[in-house]
Amino acid sequence: MTALLRGLLHNRKAMVGFALIALIVIVALAAPWLAPYDPGARSGRPHQPPSLDHLLGTTRLGQDVLSRLLWGARTSLAVGFGAGLLITAVGTVMGILGGYSGGRTDDVVSFLTNMVLVVPNLPLLLVLAAFLGQASPIVIALILGFTSWAWGARVTRAETLSVRQKDFVKSAEMMGEPRWRIMAVEIFPNLLSIVGINFIGSVVFAVITEATLEFLGLGDPRAVSWGIMLFNAQKASALAVGAWWDILTPCFALALLGIGLSLLNFAVDEIANPRLRTGGRLGRWSALIKAGEGRL
Amino acid sequence: MPFLLRRVLFYLAAFLVAATINFFLPRLMPGDPVQLMFASAGNAMSPENLQALKLTFGFVDAPLWQQYLTYLQSIVTGDLGRSIKYFPLPVTELLGRAIVWTAALMGTATIVSFALGSLLGAIAAWRRGGLFDVTVSVGAIFATSVPAVVTSLVVLFVFGFTLGWFPSGYAAAPSLDPAFSAAYVGSVLYHAVLPMLTLCTVLTGGFVVTMRNNMINLLGEDYIVMAQAKGLSDRRVMLWYAARNALLPTVSSLAIALGMVLGGSLVTEVVYNYPGLGNVLYQAIIARDYPVIQGQLLIMTATMLVANFIVDVSYVLLDPRLKRA
Repeated sequence: MTALLRGLLHNRKAMVGFALIALIVIVALAAPWLAPYDPGARSGRPHQPPSLDHLLGTTRLGQDVLSRLLWGARTSLAVGFGAGLLITAVGTVMGILGGYSGGRTDDVVSFLTNMVLVVPNLPLLLVLAAFLGQASPIVIALILGFTSWAWGARVTRAETLSVRQKDFVKSAEMMGEPRWRIMAVEIFPNLLSIVGINFIGSVVFAVITEATLEFLGLGDPRAVSWGIMLFNAQKASALAVGAWWDILTPCFALALLGIGLSLLNFAVDEIANPRLRTGGRLGRWSALIKAGEGRL
Repeated sequence: MPFLLRRVLFYLAAFLVAATINFFLPRLMPGDPVQLMFASAGNAMSPENLQALKLTFGFVDAPLWQQYLTYLQSIVTGDLGRSIKYFPLPVTELLGRAIVWTAALMGTATIVSFALGSLLGAIAAWRRGGLFDVTVSVGAIFATSVPAVVTSLVVLFVFGFTLGWFPSGYAAAPSLDPAFSAAYVGSVLYHAVLPMLTLCTVLTGGFVVTMRNNMINLLGEDYIVMAQAKGLSDRRVMLWYAARNALLPTVSSLAIALGMVLGGSLVTEVVYNYPGLGNVLYQAIIARDYPVIQGQLLIMTATMLVANFIVDVSYVLLDPRLKRA
């Protein structure tokens, strides 16, 4: 675990990713102080371009885009991390249970996992959300949690199978430790890097999917989130009427969050599997970018 | 072949799961399921038509298991009910028209991305740590982590609205009649550029990452060293010794990618107003046209299962060990 943390501190991808996420988290927490207007209230004329009064312009309904962006960050982060945690928890429990128990339990778990993996996720989510009507962010997080654990379960199970053969597990069994204790205390800590990758990947997935569901009109249109911002902007044909600030602002925010999380994910992956490392050359890449900036 | 037979049985079971979800979902919701499912029908439908539609979805005066069997029977006979929004039109016909567009768009995008992504990934792995690798890897991370909605909207904004190089919607110019004429086909291709560009951006990154990771794990193998020791050219070792073997696990990620592209093409079609499955689904969601939404799940599941099966078959062909197992 400490090796993982130390590795992260020395990995440039991890640091960039971490900085991006930290920025978004801080902005989300400070939304009440940073946001100049009430995110739901009409604070100006509709579709005003960015100005000093409205730094990122206004929406079709005359709401301040910046305020909605800041408050929306809270929803997107909460759904992302909440659903991510749920997905990881279910997947890890299923994976360890199947991998360690073997026999009939494993058959059932593997069958369930493979089944959930082949039924395409997004249409399934759409059907679920459509029947629930306008799904609030919490409902979306719950549906995501219970339909998207299969990938994590499969990976965790495979890793559990190899840890199960280790001597310390055998000795714990000899000493007569209860099965739940072996799974929770002996096996689980050895799967932390897998669980970490699964968690970050699930958060990325949850953030993207929440935004997608809301964009497609399955969210609660009164909620303040980045997906709902996209939905409203698209409904108001923001691009066609030239109100690019209305639609590109949440786009940019979502892209930033996605990139930050993915950088972190790849970094954890590289540390767990050192052969994948691109090493210090990322420095050269950023130097290149800087050189390009100089020319512009 | 027992392996393939096992897979077929498994896929049938998976399809049954999707059908079962469709069956139970309206019945699990609070309130009257019939009311819920056909509320949007309003007065548009005569009582006889509504009765027929109810029968298709298993709403008969009988115990639950009999309702379930009635519903399964409709599905097996290919009756997915009728769209409520476009009333007399059967769901299968509505979806059948749309799937052609999606399949053409998605199929091409997947093949292009697979070829491009695998090649880039192979070269990146071969020169790992180099400038090419870093550029491609970081680019792939960016491309995969940005939501498809965002990519679609940004591509549309830049090339469709700001530069105005390509049309911003539809699959062909609405003024043209569908025909096998040069004008129509040209218009279709012209309209497909932006959706295609979006889908390829979304997809390629994933293939790059898988291929690169597979290949790096192979590069330490003895047969690679052996090939180099024999004095074979770098390109030959890279493509015919390393990439060839690294491609095998990538094939399985192709199946997953196909599943994801259904999702990716969904939003892309909505953004570009493309007449494929995604757009039909979007319209159905807005109108709460439940028969169409449910039909979509079945069609998309079936497509996904067929794609998986093709991957299984290709696995057997590519990896002789499976034949004996």
